[in-house]
Formats: sequence, structure tokens, C-alpha cells
Amino acid sequence: MRIPDEERALAEAARGGDQDAFAGLVRLHQRRAYLVARAIVTVHEDAEDAVQDGFVRAWQSIDRFDPSQSFGAWINRIVANAALDITRRRKVRSTEELSDALRSPFRDPALDAELNTRLREALSKLPDRARSVIVLHDIEGFTHVEIGEMLGIPGGTARSDLHHARQKLREMLKDLRG
Amino acid sequence: MTDELRFPASGDRDSLDESLVSLVREAYAPPDGDAYWSGLESRIMSRVAGQSSSDSGWWNVLAPWARPALIAAAAIFALAGVIDQKLIESEEQVSYDSLVQSVTPEVLTTTQELSSVERGADGATLSYFLSH
Repeated sequence: MRIPDEERALAEAARGGDQDAFAGLVRLHQRRAYLVARAIVTVHEDAEDAVQDGFVRAWQSIDRFDPSQSFGAWINRIVANAALDITRRRKVRSTEELSDALRSPFRDPALDAELNTRLREALSKLPDRARSVIVLHDIEGFTHVEIGEMLGIPGGTARSDLHHARQKLREMLKDLRG
Repeated sequence: MTDELRFPASGDRDSLDESLVSLVREAYAPPDGDAYWSGLESRIMSRVAGQSSSDSGWWNVLAPWARPALIAAAAIFALAGVIDQKLIESEEQVSYDSLVQSVTPEVLTTTQELSSVERGADGATLSYFLSH
């Protein structure tokens, strides 16, 4: 993978302790990192916490980052770990709460209400990892291998999880699909 | 990212249909607007700056000396151990010497007294045999 010159320069400067350079890396990668976190924790506030925690952890260990590698892949793994930590801490969460959490304040209000309600319910009924895999792969476009690295599972397991998650989602929403 | 097949690429027969993907995408849509992202960046960098300032505390100024200090402390500890052992040995020797010096004359005296007693006893026995 070819690393963009701008990212490489920022990463090298950040390794030298340059906070402005690190801010540049934050600007470049925070949206993607947010999407990764959101796929895992579901709740917007938790995703934001995971992104903040992830970037702070990255800064703390920036001297261990290899600038010849992709900073994006590195930070996504760190943010995913931070999100998984949050998930473990908040393991007990009712389906109702999760369903409410999925009601993103940023979604398009024009979407059909019933579809959204059913979708939220269906997603909330999926196991945590299955939901993360389906969002990371089908929505964010990560590969099985990348998802496996982020979630700490083999790529083959991510592929299998994806297959079963899609089946379950289809089954739960089959009466809504034309 | 690798060139591995991604949804909704054609050929992925297992993939969800586009309408469902759109719904999921909407449900997981990230916050919109530059203000939100610049605010998040500020919060992150504020924590990073806080981290850095706490990193520059006095303990971090002293951190480079930690290893030499540990080595020096270990050497001092070892040296103290050796000195302590020597002192103990020396004290034991002094105690032994003083004990030996104070006990020896008594022992000698006692031995002499015993000898004289023994000699006295032998003399009495001899006198008894001679007189009878």
C-alpha cells in the first residue's frame, strides 16, 4: 500500500513530538475512525469517546508507529480496541436501550418510519460482533482481514460472521423487502 | 485496504441489497458538518496536550536517571551488605577473644586448684597407707 506523502510527513513529525502534525493526522482520520468505533459501540457518544481514547493512546505510543505503514490502518485498530473496551464495560444493555441508541440524530428524517424502526430492532437483535462485522464490511467497505485485525478475530471468522449476520438480517426484514 | 471483494461489488452473491444497505448506512451515518469535526479534533488535541504536559512533570525530568540510579542503589546495597557482614564477623571475633581471655585464667585457676586437690588427695592416701 502506498502511503500518501502528506500522511507520511505528518506521522514522522508526530513521532518527533510535533503536536500540530498529530492534529493533522487527527483531521485526516477522525471521520473514518468514528465510523469504525460506531460500528462496534453503536451509540454516538460511546463512538466519540472511543475515537478520543484511541487518538490519545496513539499519541502515547506514537514512537512505536512505523511511518512506512498506514497510519489509518494503525489508528483504526487502536480505535476499534478502545471501542471494544467500552463495549466490554457496558456489556449489559437492554435491546430497548440499544434500539434507542441506533436512532442516530444525524440520519435523514425523511426515511420511512416503519423501515427504520424495523431496521433498528433487527440490528439491535444481532450479536454485537455480527453487527460490527456487517457495518464495517457492507457499509464502511473494510475487508474481512482488516475487520479481523480490528476485532481481534481471524479473517475467516469475520467472513463467516458476515455471512450469518446477513442471513439473520434478511430473515428479520424479509417482509419489508419487495 | 486490499483488493478483497467488498460490498456492494458485483459478484458478491451473499451481499445485502442496496436498499437495505442504504438504510443501515443512514442509521450509522456520522455527524455532518465541519463544526462537529473541528470540535472533536479540539477535544482530542486538548487531551493530547494535557497528556504531554503531565508527561513533562518532574518525574519525567528525572526519568533518564532512573536506570543509573537503580544500578547505583543496587551497588550501594551490595556494598552495605558486605560491610555489614564484615562488621558482624569482626564483632564475633572481638566477642570470642574477650570471652576466651576472660575465661582462660579461671579455667587455669580451676585446673590448678583441681591439681592441688588431686595432689592433696593422693598425699592423704599415701600417708594413710604409710601409717598403717
